Amino acid sequence: MEFSEHIKTANVEDVVLRQTLHPPSRGTLCVTGHHLLFSDREEGSCRQVLLLLRNIDAIEKRISGSSGTISIKCKDLRVLHLDIPGMEQCLNIARSIETLSCLEAVSEMYPFFYRPSNASLQDQWGLSSPEKHYSQMTELHDRWRLSTVNRHYSVCPSYPPAVIVPKNIDDAMLEKIAKFRQRGRFPVLCYYHRKNGMVIMSSSQPLTGANRKRCMEDEFLLQAVIDGSDKGYIIDTRSSQQALQARITGGGFESKSGYSSWKRLHRQMERGKALQESLIKLVEACGDESHNMDRWLSKLENSKWLSHVQTALSTAGLLAECVERDGHSVLVHGSEGTDSTLLISTLAQLIMDPCCRTLEGFLALLEREWVQAGHPFQQRCSHSAYSHARLQQESPVFLLLLDCVWQLWRQFPLALGFSEALLLRLATEAYASNYGTFLCNNQQERCVLRVKENTRCLFQALLRPRERDGYSNPLYEPTELAIWPSVHPQSLQLWRGFFLRWTPQARHLEEAQEEIRNMIIEWGKLALS
Amino acid sequence: MASPVSVYNSNALDTHISSSSRESLKMELLADVSLLPGEERIIDKETIYICPFNGAVKGKVLITNYRLYFKSVDADVVVMLDVPLGAISRVEKMGGASSRGENSYGLDITCKDMRNLRFALKQEGHSRRDIFELLFKYAFPLSHGLPLFAYVTQEKYGENGWDIYKPIEEFRRQGLPNNKWRITFINKNYELCDTYPTVLAVPFKSKEEDLRRVAAFRSKGRIPVLSWIHRENQAVIVRCSQPLVGMSGKRNKDDERYLDVIREANDSTKLTIYDARPSVNAVANKATGGGYEGDEYQSAELVFLDIQNIHVMRESLKKLKDIVYPNVEESHWLSSLESTHWLEHVKLVLSGAIQVADKVSSGNSVLVHCSDGWDRTAQLTSLAMLMLDSHYRTLRGFQVLIEKEWISFGHKFASRIGHGDKNHADQDRSPVFVQFIDCVWQMTKQFPTAFEFNERLLLTILDHLYSCCFGTFLYNCESARDQHEVRLKTVSLWSLVNSKMEMYLNPFYTPESGRVLYPVASMRHLELWVTYYIRWNPRIRQQQQSPVEQRYKELLALRDEYLKKLEELQLSDSSPSSRLANTPNTSSSTSSTPPQQYTHLQTPL
Repeated sequence: MEFSEHIKTANVEDVVLRQTLHPPSRGTLCVTGHHLLFSDREEGSCRQVLLLLRNIDAIEKRISGSSGTISIKCKDLRVLHLDIPGMEQCLNIARSIETLSCLEAVSEMYPFFYRPSNASLQDQWGLSSPEKHYSQMTELHDRWRLSTVNRHYSVCPSYPPAVIVPKNIDDAMLEKIAKFRQRGRFPVLCYYHRKNGMVIMSSSQPLTGANRKRCMEDEFLLQAVIDGSDKGYIIDTRSSQQALQARITGGGFESKSGYSSWKRLHRQMERGKALQESLIKLVEACGDESHNMDRWLSKLENSKWLSHVQTALSTAGLLAECVERDGHSVLVHGSEGTDSTLLISTLAQLIMDPCCRTLEGFLALLEREWVQAGHPFQQRCSHSAYSHARLQQESPVFLLLLDCVWQLWRQFPLALGFSEALLLRLATEAYASNYGTFLCNNQQERCVLRVKENTRCLFQALLRPRERDGYSNPLYEPTELAIWPSVHPQSLQLWRGFFLRWTPQARHLEEAQEEIRNMIIEWGKLALS
Repeated sequence: MASPVSVYNSNALDTHISSSSRESLKMELLADVSLLPGEERIIDKETIYICPFNGAVKGKVLITNYRLYFKSVDADVVVMLDVPLGAISRVEKMGGASSRGENSYGLDITCKDMRNLRFALKQEGHSRRDIFELLFKYAFPLSHGLPLFAYVTQEKYGENGWDIYKPIEEFRRQGLPNNKWRITFINKNYELCDTYPTVLAVPFKSKEEDLRRVAAFRSKGRIPVLSWIHRENQAVIVRCSQPLVGMSGKRNKDDERYLDVIREANDSTKLTIYDARPSVNAVANKATGGGYEGDEYQSAELVFLDIQNIHVMRESLKKLKDIVYPNVEESHWLSSLESTHWLEHVKLVLSGAIQVADKVSSGNSVLVHCSDGWDRTAQLTSLAMLMLDSHYRTLRGFQVLIEKEWISFGHKFASRIGHGDKNHADQDRSPVFVQFIDCVWQMTKQFPTAFEFNERLLLTILDHLYSCCFGTFLYNCESARDQHEVRLKTVSLWSLVNSKMEMYLNPFYTPESGRVLYPVASMRHLELWVTYYIRWNPRIRQQQQSPVEQRYKELLALRDEYLKKLEELQLSDSSPSSRLANTPNTSSSTSSTPPQQYTHLQTPL
């Protein structure tokens, strides 16, 4: 196997593992192509730590005398220290980790090798597909159709093969529209609000450019969306200034003249690098071990993470308000339509649609709106907060979504069918996983690498009976009502369960919550038996 | 069609403002209020309440000898206020006869409970004179020769809260007296120390004359006495005031010996003295005759806990009020919160108490004092006891803790709160007790299953800290309470609480008697108590009870129903099964299995 050339030392004895929440332990360390395995060889204990190399975000090595220490900082924010005897062994191990943890080739990643005994590759992959989604929503069929114009991923490489569009827009028109939208992401339906028939559409920015190009078909499509009703809204996730500037580089926005029935609302959302830097600052503040914590709140504020949470929730609230309260259809886009667009569309659906709030419903929503809709997981999640590598396309948009969902969950503890544990699991899996779900950047890439055929599906795994229990909310009480989050800064909190997860302080709270959970489950069972 | 609001607003959650039908608005104001026994109408008036959240609201205000009540008329939303007069710290006239502008003439009321109220009145004919004078009189009865409302009302409850704390019983529960500690009645006439209770626990070896000599060397005669003893290791928490060292560095052999006797009682290697103050303040106290224990106390070690004094705490809470009322400082919320230092003070109090608890649970006796030993000392000893002794984490135990460490040991509630007193600017005011309750709340957040009581109890305690409806928090010390016959003439707050206990119970409580709770006193894990400090803001979701708690209680109710049904089934079963009594195997296995399951799963509820 080609991994072996990166492994000079595969086994070291007498390694000491130090980690918060555990006493130090001595044992054997092994490096394999995908894992770091530490097994405790002491009397009476058999602790094993199996760490996906992919989970390692950064390593630091310190050599002193004949031994060395490697500090491993993981993408799930865990920090481990390994004291390794022998300088050369230490350097070898460090080098192996450095190389193997950031191999670029997707087909060599662990999901392609993961073969658990309890599942076969023949198991169903995924929960839903655009086809299934469309066929379930019969109310749609009057005015909307399922287009397979993208079946070869030629019109829009980051869209799934089938998408839902207005009925009277044919495939030829879609092809033209795709040329008018960045990366071919023409407006498609993401959500249909059963209560009033209004919809959420998403797309990328129109390529109007400096000379204000127009596209009749694009205007026609949007007109078809609102068909009959007086107007629709476009929520642009950039400030109007940013939208204006985008024209210089060929992008732009929907002008009044071309889209007279559409009203544009600009809400500036932070994306890309700014978001990544925010996460780095936050994690740094959380990991600050110095005793001088007087400035904690300022540091938290300076990281701006919570204000990103606030903006995301309030923009999603605005979107849901347009649809649910005012009864208008909305088109959402920023520039590429693969990040903040998905973020607020997903959150708005959680706010409005009870079907998305069950465990299955939520996972299906993520599959539809993030995996199939082409959020570039590969690029966004290749590194996290500890990495020293130069920032490229990394951005914790998906983590921000999970944080926002956690805020919803905290404000409405009965309305969501899943638990915090699910959000924590997803936050880990998005960065390093045994499963193929979050591999690649879009369906086309997944198709080329035959991800479906060669890896397991995380969402299916989470729904297996045994896992499912831990991920569902025992207090869940379905409600048809919209759940409007409070977005005032004093209502939003740091997601301690994630950001302070590996501190001893968070542990006892986790235990107490587990205890409450069990109490509820027990009494629930008895009360309902 | 109206376009959607440009700023997403989440005001849909207003609950204290509810829409109502027109008919109810016509109802007479008095009919809305259920007056307490002894409560009487003083005056009512048409007025405009200048609500910081909804703007000016027309309505009628009713003032009784207990409360200020306001209800809006002719508005689509009903705005209601029900404020005990005891919560008022200041009443002022706003504007003059000549002031212009709408609603610029009226009353400005500052409350002790994190809010202000403004009422506008008609400008003509001195319309506010009578209401101002009457409100001023009844809000500050002690400044006008009137009794506090607790002496007026005679509400009856099924429980007598004055029975909750009996010092001797509490000492007995702790295993006292024993061969090292004795109970003394030396203070039965408050002659040794007029701010201490009558019953004290002191080292067995110390004679009454020793105590008197020590009292001469401790500020206000507040000698070191036992607050709590660890059952297993016999380490104790002893509390007192500062030694009267003064500039000249006076020594007192009796005090030194006394402290050594305390240390000896469980063979601690050192007696740790926790001085709650910052060291600079302790030094500065020498100038006024006070100070701290120096090197002459050879068997003791001194630790300063850096907790600021009552004035700093008062200013800090004032700053907090500025950023949360009426509007929350949203643009730089976290740094504004930080600049109030409130959470930092909470952190220092909690971490001080953790140090005390940790020392004691590792077998070392400690002595806690500040200057007078009735503010920071009470915070530290009571919080440490809450961490060490699970009894204090029960509903009744918590009442005992407050009665004992705060009320009986002379936390100056009257001076700190200013019950019935018009001097709002008095330098003695300070939210030390509020801060203690905040610390308790932080602990309940960190240990959601360790406390038998819920957040509502804490809110109720703080509401009645000001209300003057109960005698519990009145006066500065026991001797003053005796003199004013508080126990005879007023009702205890615990009478109210204990006659409606189920309201204050935490359904998730699971007792673990031996466990010492060490909360995390790190800023990362402390939260602002939003549901207390920002509760007047309608944007804060008002949750009397968390929905999780609510749902769980529903499940428990279902269980009770199920149990009852089961019982009925068993009853109706009992006749045939008694006939089958000859075959006990079958009857016992069929009818007793389900109840056994319950005993197995029994929680303390």
